[in-house]
Amino acid sequence: MLIMNNVSRIYRNDTIKTHALRDFSLHVNAGEFVAVTGPSGSGKSTFLNVAGLLDTFDQGEYTLDGVNVHGLKDDDLSRLRNEKIGFIFQSYNLIPDYSVFDNVDMPLRYRNFNAAQRKRRVEQSLEKVGLASRANYLPSQLSGGQQQRVAIARALAGEPKILLADEPTGNLDSLMARQVMELLHKLNQEGTTIIMVTHDPDQAREVNRNIQIIDGQISDFKIYAPLQSSQVSQTETVKGKESVDA
Amino acid sequence: MLSYNLKLAMHSFKRAPSLYFLVLLTLSVGVGLLCANLALVSSMAGDPIPEKSGQLFHVSMNTWPNDQPQSEPFHILRYREAMKISESDIPKHSAVFYASGVYARDSESESLKRFDSSVRATTPGFFPLTKAPFAYGNGFAKSSGMEVVIGAALNQKIFAGANSVGKTLELDGELLTITGVLKPWSLRPLFYHATEGRAFNLTDDIYVPLETAIDLGWSIHARTSTTVSYKGVQFTRDRDVFYLQAWVELEDKTKQEAFQNYLDNYSQTLKDAGEHPLDILNELRDVNTWLSELKIVDQKVLAFTLASVLFLCVCVFNASSLLLSRFHSAKFEVGLRRAIGASNKNILIQGFTESVLLGLVAGVVSLLLSWLFLKLSITFLPDLANIAVLDPKLLLLGMLLALVTSVSSALYPLYRANRFTISAELK
Amino acid sequence: MNIKALFKSLLLRKFTTGLLILQLAITLGLLVNSSILAFDAKGKISQITGLDNDNILFMSTQPTSGSYRDLDYYRSIVTQDIEKLNQLFGVNSVSITNQLPIATQGMSTNIHDLDNPDQDRTDKYLQNVQYILTQENLADAMGLTLAEGRFLNKADQFDFGSEQKRNIVVTESLKRALYGDESAIGQETNIGFIVGVIKGITLDPTLPSDKQYGVFVNTVMEYIFTGRFYVLNVEPQQMANVRSLVSETILAVQAERDIFRVFTMQEHLHRFYRDDTGLADLFLLLCGLMLFITAISSYAYSQFHISRQQKFIGIRRALGARKKDILFYVLTENWLVYSFGCLLGLVVTIGFNILLSQYISLSKPDIALFLLAIGVIFMSGTVATWFPAVRTSNIPPVIATRTV
Repeated sequence: MLIMNNVSRIYRNDTIKTHALRDFSLHVNAGEFVAVTGPSGSGKSTFLNVAGLLDTFDQGEYTLDGVNVHGLKDDDLSRLRNEKIGFIFQSYNLIPDYSVFDNVDMPLRYRNFNAAQRKRRVEQSLEKVGLASRANYLPSQLSGGQQQRVAIARALAGEPKILLADEPTGNLDSLMARQVMELLHKLNQEGTTIIMVTHDPDQAREVNRNIQIIDGQISDFKIYAPLQSSQVSQTETVKGKESVDA
Repeated sequence: MLSYNLKLAMHSFKRAPSLYFLVLLTLSVGVGLLCANLALVSSMAGDPIPEKSGQLFHVSMNTWPNDQPQSEPFHILRYREAMKISESDIPKHSAVFYASGVYARDSESESLKRFDSSVRATTPGFFPLTKAPFAYGNGFAKSSGMEVVIGAALNQKIFAGANSVGKTLELDGELLTITGVLKPWSLRPLFYHATEGRAFNLTDDIYVPLETAIDLGWSIHARTSTTVSYKGVQFTRDRDVFYLQAWVELEDKTKQEAFQNYLDNYSQTLKDAGEHPLDILNELRDVNTWLSELKIVDQKVLAFTLASVLFLCVCVFNASSLLLSRFHSAKFEVGLRRAIGASNKNILIQGFTESVLLGLVAGVVSLLLSWLFLKLSITFLPDLANIAVLDPKLLLLGMLLALVTSVSSALYPLYRANRFTISAELK
Repeated sequence: MNIKALFKSLLLRKFTTGLLILQLAITLGLLVNSSILAFDAKGKISQITGLDNDNILFMSTQPTSGSYRDLDYYRSIVTQDIEKLNQLFGVNSVSITNQLPIATQGMSTNIHDLDNPDQDRTDKYLQNVQYILTQENLADAMGLTLAEGRFLNKADQFDFGSEQKRNIVVTESLKRALYGDESAIGQETNIGFIVGVIKGITLDPTLPSDKQYGVFVNTVMEYIFTGRFYVLNVEPQQMANVRSLVSETILAVQAERDIFRVFTMQEHLHRFYRDDTGLADLFLLLCGLMLFITAISSYAYSQFHISRQQKFIGIRRALGARKKDILFYVLTENWLVYSFGCLLGLVVTIGFNILLSQYISLSKPDIALFLLAIGVIFMSGTVATWFPAVRTSNIPPVIATRTV
């Protein structure tokens, strides 16, 4: 599904070169649920940006669902992003003066669906997150958890191949966080590939694959068994090549 | 997608109404002002009779009887030259006339109220030459006779617009019969008499046969130059009194050359008789050449038009600044849309739709302001009263200008909006 | 005050700053030139004409009936008019003439001394001398003063149809053109014998002051149909009253007349320059609009940049800057931009002045006007950005610590 080989992302300003991602390699198969952890400034956000085609990279190769993104123009990248990826942000990022329906509808507008097709998809999406009855509500009329679920519905509306979630429960209390995680797990069981950045080690342990990013590189590669069973962990360490700062 | 973009544009306007109102206002005022000025300039510089302006020629001759001419050649003629021009069968039509004024009254009316009327004492060729539009009746057939043609405005004042052909008018104590009534006729500029500051007068109220006016002694109301004294216009036929203007219609180059020769030959006979001290210099100038030579475009209006161009620039800069701050605050939504799959092109088109919509509204408002400003300009420059009109092509220009300014003021802000790095805005 | 740092921060937002500077420059250019036009126009209408502006009343009329073709009838009516007008309380003197001073068009003639027929070749203005038909009371009515000789009198009005050479009165500049410093009295010109010279009056303001050539002849009664203007000399306190009565007075004599206008010399002068004052007013109107729009821009500019600098301002406050310091900082930033705008505005002003001069006549800009305009711009700009500046100074230091 998602194949990154030796991807590097370097930020340059006048005097300093920062390697946000350094020789980063990752293969994610369809149906996996991957949790990405790591300290602040480690490159988690950059990874997500690059994976989500929000940002370019300077070296390496990235293939998403069989499409090599190298050399693709903005139009093609946007289409790819629209059709294959769904984003879930920490602060939901709903448009405050749009209804729930209109918010979920947004990504569909950039595809060639007619009004009926869009309506159907929006309703299906809202069904999946359990908010079909709230289609005409404004975000301000919903709780934090409900807003995040709307955001998830928006991410799902286009039937993406992969969901990218950036600390999806970061702004929620524990009860709502629980609900959102349950939803994500359900979606994953139904076949959606999910990559989730999180600070919460419990959440990380709940999923079957963990990645740690430190200093722009994958530093730890843990595969956990489900939480209920024994805490046997197998650790694989994958080290990348050393690189020198300019 | 278009309807979605329109919906998004409306949404955007609702989110920052005062800002968009300001943008709308500045653009409308700038475009409106410029449009009004352009209307004035185009009125003044326009071709009043485009279908034959290349075939109508004003005649100037150099027959001033001594060696101190008022100008060479002179745009006004003596009776003898005017008749010479009238006699020629080379032009398709010719018109020889002078401007006068008289008080007019329906001879059958009980009221003694008389209407101040501008008069054109002319040969009958005037009507076909200028394509004067008739509502009723037609022009007089000869240069003499107690007949007149009247204009629509006077007809409205005296006869309430009815068909007054056959009625008699009392003009300066004499009775003349109406043979024709013109439709409302506006010539901007008044090419047939564009000298002496009359270029923006209205078309005349009364058209009377030339000889009749001379015999009745109707005084000359425009430039007269003479080397002798004379007691009245009725005595000018055989004197060196210069006051008549002449226009001829010459259909093609051969006719033009033939007529030029005709005039030059005539001047030569005068010279041979010792009556033409100056050089022979007969000039035929077509409508547009004549008008541009007279420089009738009011320089003051041109100056103000220049200022209003600068003003429009200021308005566009202002709109641009305002839109920049607006697009900046819309960064979040732009970033979000990009994240969910809108391409740069989509975002550009969305912004473009917004500015086109804004431009259309600004266009309508600016046309209203144009009209208002034209009315206002008459209070500042009263001489513009007859030319302060908005004709249809100016309306189109106004809309176009509004669209262009709206889009161009959004160009840089859109460009900047496009370069937002998506990731940075969404945390 | 760290000017260099301010300057650098401006460079970071070149586009908006550049736009504002351009706007300021154009506004300044327009402001100065509009003021020039306004002052020029004011100067024109306050010029010295040599005529008594407060005492003179004109009335322009035209008979409407054909009975006036009988010139004797016409004359009898005019005589009665003058008699009745003289009887109005406050009227000192009444006359009638064919044209008025402060005009560019009218009857004109060429003149030369009979012994010197080439004069009007050397001085072209002598070919276009104003030819004023009037009668003997004009000097009193119009308050003309004599430089030498006498004005026209009753005897100068010869029998109608007479071919005799007339007696004429000329203006001072005409006399100087024809005879230099010599006396003109008794000299014979192609038009007539000079019996008087009147002191300088402005006949055509568009001509130089030494070319105000005019000739007065007592022939208006003979060519009575040229007598379009009544001239009245009125006591200033009675002016309003007399004005309201003149129309009905002559209409009472004979009603078939059109009275176009009743106006004072002052109003006549204003009307002559109404296009100049009109244009100046238009330009000032435009100025007002432009100042308003530039003020909006200034406000938007400040507002925009302040909102982006919120965090930094919070940091400054956290580090010890007082509200006053922030206010001053914001204002100084604006003033720096205005200074650049005014600097560029100097160039724009001169350029615009040159460009306008191709179309209309206007004076060159002077320093005082320029400084005044700069003052106006600084003031209106400061007013426009006052509220954003005050709001900025009120940003609490706690903002520095906010992460959301």
